[in-house]
Amino acid sequence: MAAASNALRLEMGDSADVALAAAGDRQAFERLYRTHANRVYSICTRMSGSRVKGEELTQDVFVRTWEKLPQFRGESAFSTWLHRLAVNVVLNARKTEGKHDSRTEDSDVADDRRDEMSRAPLHIERMDLKEAISKLPDGARKVFVLHDIEGYKHEEIGQMMGITSGGSKAQLHRARLLLREALER
Amino acid sequence: MTESNMTCEAFDAALPDYLEGTLAEPMRAAVSKHLSECVRCTSLVRDLEKIQKEAAALPDLAPSRDLWQGIEARISAAVIPFATRPERRRRVVPAWMGIAAAALVVSTAGITYMLTARSFQSETPNKVALIVPGVTVTDSQPENGPQPGNGNEPVQTSQSTPGANGSNRAAAKSSLVAVRNPGVAANRQVQGALLAVAPINAEQRSERVYSREIDMLQGILTQRRTQLDSSTVSIIERNLQIIDAAIASSRAALAKDPASRLLSDQLTHALDKKVELLRTAALLPST
Repeated sequence: MAAASNALRLEMGDSADVALAAAGDRQAFERLYRTHANRVYSICTRMSGSRVKGEELTQDVFVRTWEKLPQFRGESAFSTWLHRLAVNVVLNARKTEGKHDSRTEDSDVADDRRDEMSRAPLHIERMDLKEAISKLPDGARKVFVLHDIEGYKHEEIGQMMGITSGGSKAQLHRARLLLREALER
Repeated sequence: MTESNMTCEAFDAALPDYLEGTLAEPMRAAVSKHLSECVRCTSLVRDLEKIQKEAAALPDLAPSRDLWQGIEARISAAVIPFATRPERRRRVVPAWMGIAAAALVVSTAGITYMLTARSFQSETPNKVALIVPGVTVTDSQPENGPQPGNGNEPVQTSQSTPGANGSNRAAAKSSLVAVRNPGVAANRQVQGALLAVAPINAEQRSERVYSREIDMLQGILTQRRTQLDSSTVSIIERNLQIIDAAIASSRAALAKDPASRLLSDQLTHALDKKVELLRTAALLPST
């Protein structure tokens, strides 16, 4: 009951700030940023598998939000619209970024950790879920984040990523199996 | 294999839909039965459901720094909408400036006309440069003749152009000297076989100088008739007749209207054409 009340208050507060921000009020837009920054950053970081990239993408998302805000019609909750926008920004991020560029801080840390793990007893060092997710192949990671963390359906994921819902299911199952394998080590 | 006796491979194939909760009931019952009997598959399902559950419960992450400044800088980039651009003020030019400009144009044109008319009436010597095969004559010398020791001394062209052609070229040079200014020595240099006529200022010609030039060139052409192709001579003479007719009609019209600048220009143009044709003919190579 309290959670529902907070959510309602949040959306009501959002709607006022959304209206103000859409009219060009930067202070209102900053309030929206403060409210949703962590959520957007989580989506960007988990989908990209990188904290650094996640921060860059988060900024891109809010800049894009500022530009697109006048087009927001309130047909869905602002948070839903914003998260969808964040997913699209991540998916549309430059594909030309090479593997070296996409090599992330998290990946680097995970690589270092893996090296340590290969030398250390298994029960002492164990990869947690966050790290394991960042190590997943790109497609499997994105589907896993969108489905198991963000709660999107396979049809929605397929539409966003340009794949079939069956492909989304296959990628999700592959991701789960890979995570299990990584977490069992 | 039957649904009641499911293998691990069949279980693996049905697992995604089982975890999604989209497995049809007969198959779901078979999967449940298999799970109750298979430790490996039970462990797999337990691990995957745990991952699913933990993933859904993952807390939000927080950026390592405040990203707002970067966002604010980008959305604050100065963009001036077209509608709010200040309109450029139109320059207002006072009427008196326009009148003054018009007066300046009229006075300048009048002065130019008077100066031009005077120079046309005077007999300013014509300046011509002619380069003939083996001979070049220019009128770049000062009025008091070539300066000794400056490399511009006259060259005896008769030595380099012997024979009839040489005498014709010498005559051609003489005619040019006459056009330029009688009594002024020409600067002559032996050069390649090119014919070039320097720009002629038609407005500074006098008919008397033209007449002298034309007489000289026609004498050369008469001497060279036998050296030239008969058909070429025929064409030259026909064109000369056309030009002469134009000169005659211009002179007749100008006699009736001596102040007409148009008629004066037409006469000058026709005389120029005749001189040009005669020069070309005088310097044609022998057949």
